[in-house]
Amino acid sequence: RSEKPNWDYQAEIQAFSHRLHENFSLDLLKTAFVNSCYVESEEARRQELGLDKEAAALNLQDNSKLAEQGMSFSRSYLTQCFEGAYPALPAKGIGALVDFLTSQELVSYVAQNLSIQDLTLCKEFPVPPNVLQRTFFAVIGALLNSSGPEKTGIFVRDFFIPELIGKDLFEIWEVVNPMGLLVEELTKRNISSPEPRITRQLGVSTVLPLYFVGLYCDKKIIAEGPGETLLAAEEEAARVALRKLYGYTENRRPWDYSRPKQGFAADKAIGSN
Amino acid sequence: MTGRGSPSRFLAAVLHNGVGRYVRQLQRLQLLFSPTAADARGARQFVEEEALDFARRHPDVVLYVSPCTGLAPRLLAEYLNGTVREELIASKTSEEIMQLATKLAGQSGLDIIRIRKPFHTDNPSVQGQWHPLTNKPSVLNVRGPCLQPQ
Repeated sequence: RSEKPNWDYQAEIQAFSHRLHENFSLDLLKTAFVNSCYVESEEARRQELGLDKEAAALNLQDNSKLAEQGMSFSRSYLTQCFEGAYPALPAKGIGALVDFLTSQELVSYVAQNLSIQDLTLCKEFPVPPNVLQRTFFAVIGALLNSSGPEKTGIFVRDFFIPELIGKDLFEIWEVVNPMGLLVEELTKRNISSPEPRITRQLGVSTVLPLYFVGLYCDKKIIAEGPGETLLAAEEEAARVALRKLYGYTENRRPWDYSRPKQGFAADKAIGSN
Repeated sequence: MTGRGSPSRFLAAVLHNGVGRYVRQLQRLQLLFSPTAADARGARQFVEEEALDFARRHPDVVLYVSPCTGLAPRLLAEYLNGTVREELIASKTSEEIMQLATKLAGQSGLDIIRIRKPFHTDNPSVQGQWHPLTNKPSVLNVRGPCLQPQ
Protein backbone atom coordinates (compact mmCIF):
# COMPACT_ATOMS: atom_id res chain seq x y z
CA ARG A 1 0.00 0.00 0.00
CA SER A 2 2.92 2.29 0.63
CA GLU A 3 3.65 2.39 -3.09
CA LYS A 4 0.20 3.69 -3.97
CA PRO A 5 -0.55 7.42 -3.69
CA ASN A 6 -1.66 8.93 -0.40
CA TRP A 7 0.25 7.16 2.31
CA ASP A 8 1.45 8.69 5.53
CA TYR A 9 3.01 6.10 7.83
CA GLN A 10 2.89 8.21 10.98
CA ALA A 11 -0.78 9.08 10.51
CA GLU A 12 -1.66 5.48 9.72
CA ILE A 13 0.02 4.26 12.89
CA GLN A 14 -1.81 6.79 15.02
CA ALA A 15 -5.10 5.88 13.39
CA PHE A 16 -4.31 2.21 14.07
CA SER A 17 -3.94 2.78 17.76
CA HIS A 18 -7.12 4.88 17.91
CA ARG A 19 -9.05 2.30 15.96
CA LEU A 20 -8.22 -0.37 18.49
CA HIS A 21 -9.07 2.00 21.37
CA GLU A 22 -5.65 1.46 22.89
CA ASN A 23 -2.81 3.79 23.81
CA PHE A 24 0.35 2.44 22.36
CA SER A 25 3.71 4.02 22.81
CA LEU A 26 4.47 4.86 19.20
CA ASP A 27 8.11 3.80 19.01
CA LEU A 28 7.31 0.38 20.50
CA LEU A 29 4.56 0.05 17.92
CA LYS A 30 6.87 1.05 15.11
CA THR A 31 9.42 -1.50 16.27
CA ALA A 32 6.69 -4.10 16.34
CA PHE A 33 6.05 -3.69 12.66
CA VAL A 34 9.67 -4.08 11.60
CA ASN A 35 10.53 -7.60 10.53
CA SER A 36 14.01 -9.02 10.31
CA CYS A 37 13.67 -9.83 6.62
CA TYR A 38 12.89 -6.17 6.01
CA VAL A 39 16.02 -5.04 7.82
CA GLU A 40 18.19 -7.38 5.78
CA SER A 41 16.63 -6.44 2.48
CA GLU A 42 16.91 -2.73 3.23
CA GLU A 43 20.56 -3.07 4.12
CA ALA A 44 21.21 -5.03 0.95
CA ARG A 45 19.39 -2.42 -1.11
CA ARG A 46 21.34 0.43 0.41
CA GLN A 47 24.57 -1.36 -0.20
CA GLU A 48 23.63 -1.87 -3.79
CA LEU A 49 22.89 1.81 -4.12
CA GLY A 50 26.48 2.46 -3.17
CA LEU A 51 26.40 3.60 0.45
CA ASP A 52 29.11 2.53 2.89
CA LYS A 53 28.60 -0.28 5.29
CA GLU A 54 28.23 2.02 8.31
CA ALA A 55 25.84 4.32 6.56
CA ALA A 56 23.88 1.32 5.36
CA ALA A 57 23.31 -0.08 8.84
CA LEU A 58 19.79 0.89 9.83
CA ASN A 59 19.02 1.88 13.36
CA LEU A 60 16.03 -0.36 13.45
CA GLN A 61 15.42 -3.13 15.91
CA ASP A 62 13.23 -5.88 14.72
CA ASN A 63 10.24 -7.34 16.39
CA SER A 64 11.38 -10.83 17.39
CA LYS A 65 11.61 -10.11 21.12
CA LEU A 66 8.23 -8.39 21.17
CA ALA A 67 6.77 -11.23 19.15
CA GLU A 68 7.94 -13.83 21.66
CA GLN A 69 6.62 -11.81 24.56
CA GLY A 70 3.28 -11.35 22.84
CA MET A 71 2.97 -14.99 21.95
CA SER A 72 3.77 -16.31 25.42
CA PHE A 73 1.49 -13.76 27.06
CA SER A 74 -1.45 -14.57 24.81
CA ARG A 75 -1.02 -18.29 25.25
CA SER A 76 -0.86 -18.09 29.02
CA TYR A 77 -3.75 -15.64 29.18
CA LEU A 78 -5.94 -17.76 26.96
CA THR A 79 -5.07 -20.89 28.94
CA GLN A 80 -6.08 -19.13 32.13
CA CYS A 81 -9.33 -17.94 30.56
CA PHE A 82 -10.26 -21.40 29.46
CA GLU A 83 -9.28 -23.00 32.76
CA GLY A 84 -11.59 -20.56 34.46
CA ALA A 85 -14.42 -20.95 32.04
CA TYR A 86 -14.39 -24.69 31.47
CA PRO A 87 -12.86 -26.17 34.61
CA ALA A 88 -13.73 -29.71 33.58
CA LEU A 89 -11.86 -29.53 30.29
CA PRO A 90 -8.59 -31.48 30.51
CA ALA A 91 -5.24 -29.89 29.78
CA LYS A 92 -5.00 -31.47 26.36
CA GLY A 93 -8.31 -29.96 25.33
CA ILE A 94 -7.32 -26.51 26.56
CA GLY A 95 -4.00 -26.90 24.77
CA ALA A 96 -5.81 -27.79 21.56
CA LEU A 97 -8.08 -24.73 21.86
CA VAL A 98 -5.16 -22.39 22.52
CA ASP A 99 -3.20 -23.90 19.64
CA PHE A 100 -6.14 -23.37 17.33
CA LEU A 101 -6.50 -19.76 18.42
CA THR A 102 -2.82 -18.99 17.97
CA SER A 103 -2.50 -20.94 14.74
CA GLN A 104 -1.13 -19.28 11.64
CA GLU A 105 -4.30 -19.16 9.58
CA LEU A 106 -6.44 -17.69 12.29
CA VAL A 107 -3.96 -15.10 13.46
CA SER A 108 -3.11 -14.03 9.93
CA TYR A 109 -6.83 -13.74 9.12
CA VAL A 110 -7.39 -11.54 12.17
CA ALA A 111 -4.32 -9.48 11.33
CA GLN A 112 -5.45 -8.94 7.75
CA ASN A 113 -8.80 -7.68 8.84
CA LEU A 114 -7.13 -5.25 11.23
CA SER A 115 -5.05 -3.85 8.36
CA ILE A 116 -1.78 -5.01 9.88
CA GLN A 117 -0.58 -6.13 6.47
CA ASP A 118 -0.59 -2.49 5.33
CA LEU A 119 1.63 -1.38 8.16
CA THR A 120 4.13 -4.28 8.30
CA LEU A 121 7.55 -3.67 6.89
CA CYS A 122 8.50 -6.87 5.16
CA LYS A 123 10.50 -8.14 2.24
CA GLU A 124 7.78 -9.89 0.25
CA PHE A 125 4.42 -8.64 -0.84
CA PRO A 126 1.70 -9.88 -0.22
CA VAL A 127 2.82 -10.50 3.32
CA PRO A 128 3.10 -14.26 4.03
CA PRO A 129 0.97 -15.58 6.93
CA ASN A 130 3.80 -16.47 9.30
CA VAL A 131 5.12 -12.92 9.09
CA LEU A 132 1.62 -11.60 9.78
CA GLN A 133 1.33 -13.90 12.78
CA ARG A 134 4.68 -12.73 14.14
CA THR A 135 3.78 -9.09 13.60
CA PHE A 136 0.45 -9.46 15.36
CA PHE A 137 2.11 -11.04 18.36
CA ALA A 138 4.70 -8.29 18.29
CA VAL A 139 1.88 -5.73 18.41
CA ILE A 140 0.49 -7.55 21.43
CA GLY A 141 3.96 -7.50 22.99
CA ALA A 142 4.20 -3.76 22.35
CA LEU A 143 0.83 -3.27 23.99
CA LEU A 144 1.98 -5.36 26.93
CA ASN A 145 4.98 -3.12 27.39
CA SER A 146 3.00 0.08 26.93
CA SER A 147 -0.19 -0.51 28.87
CA GLY A 148 0.37 -3.40 31.20
CA PRO A 149 -1.00 -6.93 31.39
CA GLU A 150 -4.62 -6.15 32.24
CA LYS A 151 -5.38 -4.06 29.21
CA THR A 152 -3.49 -6.45 27.01
CA GLY A 153 -5.52 -9.29 28.45
CA ILE A 154 -8.74 -7.50 27.52
CA PHE A 155 -7.33 -6.90 24.02
CA VAL A 156 -6.48 -10.59 23.56
CA ARG A 157 -9.89 -11.57 24.85
CA ASP A 158 -11.70 -9.17 22.52
CA PHE A 159 -9.97 -10.35 19.40
CA PHE A 160 -9.30 -14.05 19.88
CA ILE A 161 -12.27 -15.38 21.74
CA PRO A 162 -14.96 -14.32 19.20
CA GLU A 163 -13.20 -16.63 16.76
CA LEU A 164 -14.58 -19.54 18.78
CA ILE A 165 -18.17 -18.49 18.10
CA GLY A 166 -20.04 -21.16 16.21
CA LYS A 167 -17.22 -23.68 16.48
CA ASP A 168 -17.71 -27.07 18.04
CA LEU A 169 -15.20 -28.50 20.51
CA PHE A 170 -14.38 -31.59 18.52
CA GLU A 171 -13.84 -29.64 15.34
CA ILE A 172 -10.92 -27.99 17.05
CA TRP A 173 -9.69 -30.84 19.26
CA GLU A 174 -9.09 -34.12 17.44
CA VAL A 175 -10.06 -36.99 19.70
CA VAL A 176 -9.35 -40.43 18.31
CA ASN A 177 -11.09 -42.55 20.92
CA PRO A 178 -13.97 -40.62 22.52
CA MET A 179 -15.33 -43.71 24.27
CA GLY A 180 -12.05 -44.36 26.05
CA LEU A 181 -11.80 -40.72 27.08
CA LEU A 182 -15.37 -40.80 28.33
CA VAL A 183 -14.71 -43.91 30.43
CA GLU A 184 -11.68 -42.18 31.98
CA GLU A 185 -13.68 -39.07 32.79
CA LEU A 186 -16.46 -41.06 34.37
CA THR A 187 -14.09 -43.11 36.51
CA LYS A 188 -12.55 -39.85 37.71
CA ARG A 189 -15.98 -38.77 38.88
CA ASN A 190 -16.77 -42.21 40.34
CA ILE A 191 -19.63 -42.93 37.98
CA SER A 192 -19.98 -46.42 36.58
CA SER A 193 -18.99 -46.97 32.99
CA PRO A 194 -21.64 -46.34 30.36
CA GLU A 195 -23.77 -49.00 28.76
CA PRO A 196 -24.76 -48.30 25.17
CA ARG A 197 -28.29 -49.15 24.10
CA ILE A 198 -30.10 -48.48 20.85
CA THR A 199 -32.80 -45.93 21.56
CA ARG A 200 -34.18 -45.37 18.10
CA GLN A 201 -33.57 -46.87 14.75
CA LEU A 202 -34.88 -46.05 11.31
CA GLY A 203 -34.42 -47.72 8.00
CA VAL A 204 -32.29 -50.58 9.25
CA SER A 205 -32.39 -52.57 6.07
CA THR A 206 -31.98 -49.66 3.68
CA VAL A 207 -28.95 -47.92 2.27
CA LEU A 208 -29.17 -45.07 4.79
CA PRO A 209 -29.94 -46.48 8.19
CA LEU A 210 -30.12 -44.20 11.19
CA TYR A 211 -29.38 -45.40 14.69
CA PHE A 212 -29.66 -43.38 17.86
CA VAL A 213 -27.51 -44.92 20.57
CA GLY A 214 -28.00 -43.81 24.15
CA LEU A 215 -25.37 -44.15 26.86
CA TYR A 216 -26.76 -45.21 30.23
CA CYS A 217 -24.90 -45.01 33.55
CA ASP A 218 -26.70 -46.83 36.40
CA LYS A 219 -29.75 -47.04 34.20
CA LYS A 220 -29.91 -43.23 33.77
CA ILE A 221 -29.28 -41.74 30.36
CA ILE A 222 -26.35 -39.36 29.99
CA ALA A 223 -26.23 -38.76 26.26
CA GLU A 224 -27.70 -39.85 22.99
CA GLY A 225 -26.13 -39.61 19.58
CA PRO A 226 -27.10 -40.43 16.01
CA GLY A 227 -25.09 -42.26 13.41
CA GLU A 228 -25.26 -44.26 10.24
CA THR A 229 -23.91 -47.47 11.67
CA LEU A 230 -24.06 -48.69 15.25
CA LEU A 231 -20.39 -47.97 15.80
CA ALA A 232 -20.64 -44.46 14.42
CA ALA A 233 -23.69 -43.79 16.56
CA GLU A 234 -21.94 -45.02 19.68
CA GLU A 235 -18.95 -42.80 18.99
CA GLU A 236 -21.18 -39.81 18.43
CA ALA A 237 -23.02 -40.52 21.67
CA ALA A 238 -19.66 -40.63 23.48
CA ARG A 239 -18.79 -37.25 21.98
CA VAL A 240 -22.11 -35.76 23.06
CA ALA A 241 -21.51 -37.08 26.57
CA LEU A 242 -18.05 -35.52 26.62
CA ARG A 243 -19.41 -32.20 25.46
CA LYS A 244 -21.97 -32.24 28.25
CA LEU A 245 -19.35 -33.18 30.83
CA TYR A 246 -16.95 -30.44 29.77
CA GLY A 247 -19.70 -27.86 29.53
CA TYR A 248 -18.97 -27.02 25.90
CA THR A 249 -22.42 -27.74 24.50
CA GLU A 250 -23.97 -25.59 21.82
CA ASN A 251 -26.45 -24.08 24.22
CA ARG A 252 -23.98 -23.03 26.91
CA ARG A 253 -23.92 -19.45 28.15
CA PRO A 254 -21.99 -17.24 25.77
CA TRP A 255 -18.68 -15.74 26.83
CA ASP A 256 -18.90 -12.78 29.11
CA TYR A 257 -17.13 -9.77 27.63
CA SER A 258 -18.52 -7.14 29.95
CA ARG A 259 -16.40 -6.96 33.04
CA PRO A 260 -12.67 -6.58 32.81
CA LYS A 261 -11.15 -9.70 34.31
CA GLN A 262 -9.74 -8.99 37.72
CA GLY A 263 -6.02 -9.34 38.01
CA PHE A 264 -3.56 -11.12 35.84
CA ALA A 265 -2.40 -13.82 38.24
CA ALA A 266 -5.95 -14.13 39.20
CA ASP A 267 -8.85 -16.06 40.42
CA LYS A 268 -10.19 -18.76 38.20
CA ALA A 269 -13.64 -18.86 39.68
CA ILE A 270 -15.30 -16.49 37.28
CA GLY A 271 -18.83 -17.61 37.83
CA SER A 272 -20.65 -16.06 34.89
CA ASN A 273 -18.75 -18.20 32.38
CA MET B 1 -33.19 -7.61 -11.72
CA THR B 2 -34.83 -10.26 -9.65
CA GLY B 3 -33.39 -11.37 -6.37
CA ARG B 4 -32.04 -14.52 -7.89
CA GLY B 5 -30.36 -12.79 -10.77
CA SER B 6 -28.31 -10.38 -8.70
CA PRO B 7 -25.79 -11.42 -6.07
CA SER B 8 -26.83 -11.65 -2.45
CA ARG B 9 -25.15 -12.34 0.86
CA PHE B 10 -26.03 -13.17 4.43
CA LEU B 11 -25.84 -10.72 7.26
CA ALA B 12 -22.40 -10.90 8.78
CA ALA B 13 -19.90 -8.80 10.66
CA VAL B 14 -16.25 -8.62 9.72
CA LEU B 15 -14.32 -10.61 12.33
CA HIS B 16 -17.35 -10.70 14.71
CA ASN B 17 -16.90 -6.97 15.17
CA GLY B 18 -19.35 -6.03 17.89
CA VAL B 19 -18.76 -9.02 20.14
CA GLY B 20 -15.42 -7.90 21.50
CA ARG B 21 -14.71 -4.21 21.11
CA TYR B 22 -16.10 -2.19 18.21
CA VAL B 23 -13.48 -1.39 15.59
CA ARG B 24 -14.41 1.20 13.00
CA GLN B 25 -14.14 -0.52 9.66
CA LEU B 26 -13.24 2.54 7.64
CA GLN B 27 -9.50 2.79 7.28
CA ARG B 28 -8.86 5.83 5.16
CA LEU B 29 -10.75 8.38 3.12
CA GLN B 30 -9.10 10.00 0.16
CA LEU B 31 -10.65 13.20 -1.10
CA LEU B 32 -9.56 13.89 -4.68
CA PHE B 33 -10.77 17.13 -6.16
CA SER B 34 -9.66 19.79 -8.55
CA PRO B 35 -8.85 23.26 -7.24
CA THR B 36 -10.45 25.07 -10.16
CA ALA B 37 -13.32 23.07 -11.60
CA ALA B 38 -16.81 24.35 -10.99
CA ASP B 39 -18.37 21.13 -9.78
CA ALA B 40 -15.76 20.67 -7.10
CA ARG B 41 -16.99 23.73 -5.25
CA GLY B 42 -18.68 21.71 -2.54
CA ALA B 43 -15.54 19.66 -2.12
CA ARG B 44 -13.41 22.76 -1.72
CA GLN B 45 -15.82 24.18 0.85
CA PHE B 46 -15.80 20.88 2.69
CA VAL B 47 -12.01 20.94 2.83
CA GLU B 48 -11.96 24.52 4.07
CA GLU B 49 -14.64 24.28 6.71
CA GLU B 50 -15.57 20.81 7.76
CA ALA B 51 -12.75 18.40 6.99
CA LEU B 52 -10.89 19.30 10.16
CA ASP B 53 -13.97 18.66 12.32
CA PHE B 54 -14.50 15.35 10.61
CA ALA B 55 -10.92 14.35 11.23
CA ARG B 56 -11.14 15.35 14.88
CA ARG B 57 -14.32 13.44 15.43
CA HIS B 58 -13.00 10.31 13.74
CA PRO B 59 -9.40 9.95 14.92
CA ASP B 60 -9.23 6.42 13.63
CA VAL B 61 -9.85 7.34 10.00
CA VAL B 62 -6.93 8.77 8.06
CA LEU B 63 -8.17 11.57 5.82
CA TYR B 64 -6.04 12.39 2.79
CA VAL B 65 -6.86 15.54 0.87
CA SER B 66 -5.24 15.69 -2.55
CA PRO B 67 -6.01 18.40 -5.04
CA CYS B 68 -5.28 17.33 -8.60
CA THR B 69 -6.37 19.10 -11.74
CA GLY B 70 -8.72 17.81 -14.35
CA LEU B 71 -10.32 15.07 -12.29
CA ALA B 72 -13.94 14.59 -11.32
CA PRO B 73 -14.14 15.10 -7.57
CA ARG B 74 -14.51 11.84 -5.70
CA LEU B 75 -14.27 10.31 -2.27
CA LEU B 76 -12.40 6.98 -2.02
CA ALA B 77 -13.10 4.93 1.06
CA GLU B 78 -10.87 1.98 1.99
CA TYR B 79 -12.09 -0.54 4.50
CA LEU B 80 -10.31 -2.98 6.75
CA ASN B 81 -11.29 -6.03 4.74
CA GLY B 82 -9.81 -4.53 1.60
CA THR B 83 -12.88 -3.13 -0.18
CA VAL B 84 -12.45 0.23 -1.86
CA ARG B 85 -15.57 2.28 -2.47
CA GLU B 86 -15.63 5.30 -4.69
CA GLU B 87 -18.29 7.99 -4.51
CA LEU B 88 -18.57 10.91 -6.88
CA ILE B 89 -19.14 14.20 -5.13
CA ALA B 90 -19.51 16.50 -8.14
CA SER B 91 -21.98 19.32 -7.54
CA LYS B 92 -22.70 18.33 -3.98
CA THR B 93 -22.81 20.85 -1.21
CA SER B 94 -20.49 20.70 1.72
CA GLU B 95 -23.16 19.36 4.13
CA GLU B 96 -24.05 16.59 1.72
CA ILE B 97 -20.41 15.58 1.50
CA MET B 98 -20.23 15.58 5.29
CA GLN B 99 -23.26 13.31 5.50
CA LEU B 100 -21.79 11.04 2.87
CA ALA B 101 -18.52 10.84 4.74
CA THR B 102 -20.21 9.96 8.03
CA LYS B 103 -22.27 7.34 6.25
CA LEU B 104 -19.13 5.79 4.79
CA ALA B 105 -17.47 5.92 8.19
CA GLY B 106 -20.26 3.85 9.70
CA GLN B 107 -20.31 1.16 7.02
CA SER B 108 -18.33 -2.01 7.05
CA GLY B 109 -16.57 -3.02 3.88
CA LEU B 110 -18.93 -5.86 3.02
CA ASP B 111 -20.64 -5.66 -0.38
CA ILE B 112 -23.75 -3.58 -0.73
CA ILE B 113 -25.93 -6.24 -2.24
CA ARG B 114 -29.19 -7.80 -1.20
CA ILE B 115 -29.02 -9.25 2.31
CA ARG B 116 -30.95 -12.45 2.40
CA LYS B 117 -32.09 -12.33 6.01
CA PRO B 118 -31.96 -9.37 8.36
CA PHE B 119 -30.78 -11.60 11.21
CA HIS B 120 -28.03 -14.10 11.85
CA THR B 121 -27.24 -16.36 14.73
CA ASP B 122 -24.62 -18.94 15.43
CA ASN B 123 -26.65 -20.84 18.02
CA PRO B 124 -30.01 -21.26 16.39
CA SER B 125 -31.35 -23.78 18.85
CA VAL B 126 -31.23 -23.77 22.63
CA GLN B 127 -33.16 -26.92 23.47
CA GLY B 128 -31.88 -28.87 20.52
CA GLN B 129 -33.20 -28.72 17.00
CA TRP B 130 -36.31 -30.76 16.30
CA HIS B 131 -35.84 -33.84 14.19
CA PRO B 132 -38.53 -36.36 13.29
CA LEU B 133 -37.58 -38.65 16.17
CA THR B 134 -37.63 -36.03 18.90
CA ASN B 135 -40.81 -36.79 20.71
CA LYS B 136 -41.34 -40.33 19.59
CA PRO B 137 -41.11 -43.08 22.19
CA SER B 138 -37.81 -44.94 21.97
CA VAL B 139 -37.31 -48.58 21.10
CA LEU B 140 -36.92 -49.51 24.76
CA ASN B 141 -40.28 -48.11 25.78
CA VAL B 142 -42.36 -49.68 23.07
CA ARG B 143 -43.66 -52.99 24.18
CA GLY B 144 -44.63 -55.41 21.53
CA PRO B 145 -44.42 -59.03 20.80
CA CYS B 146 -41.71 -58.66 18.18
CA LEU B 147 -39.12 -56.94 20.44
CA GLN B 148 -36.95 -59.14 22.64
CA PRO B 149 -36.43 -57.95 26.21
CA GLN B 150 -32.83 -56.71 26.47
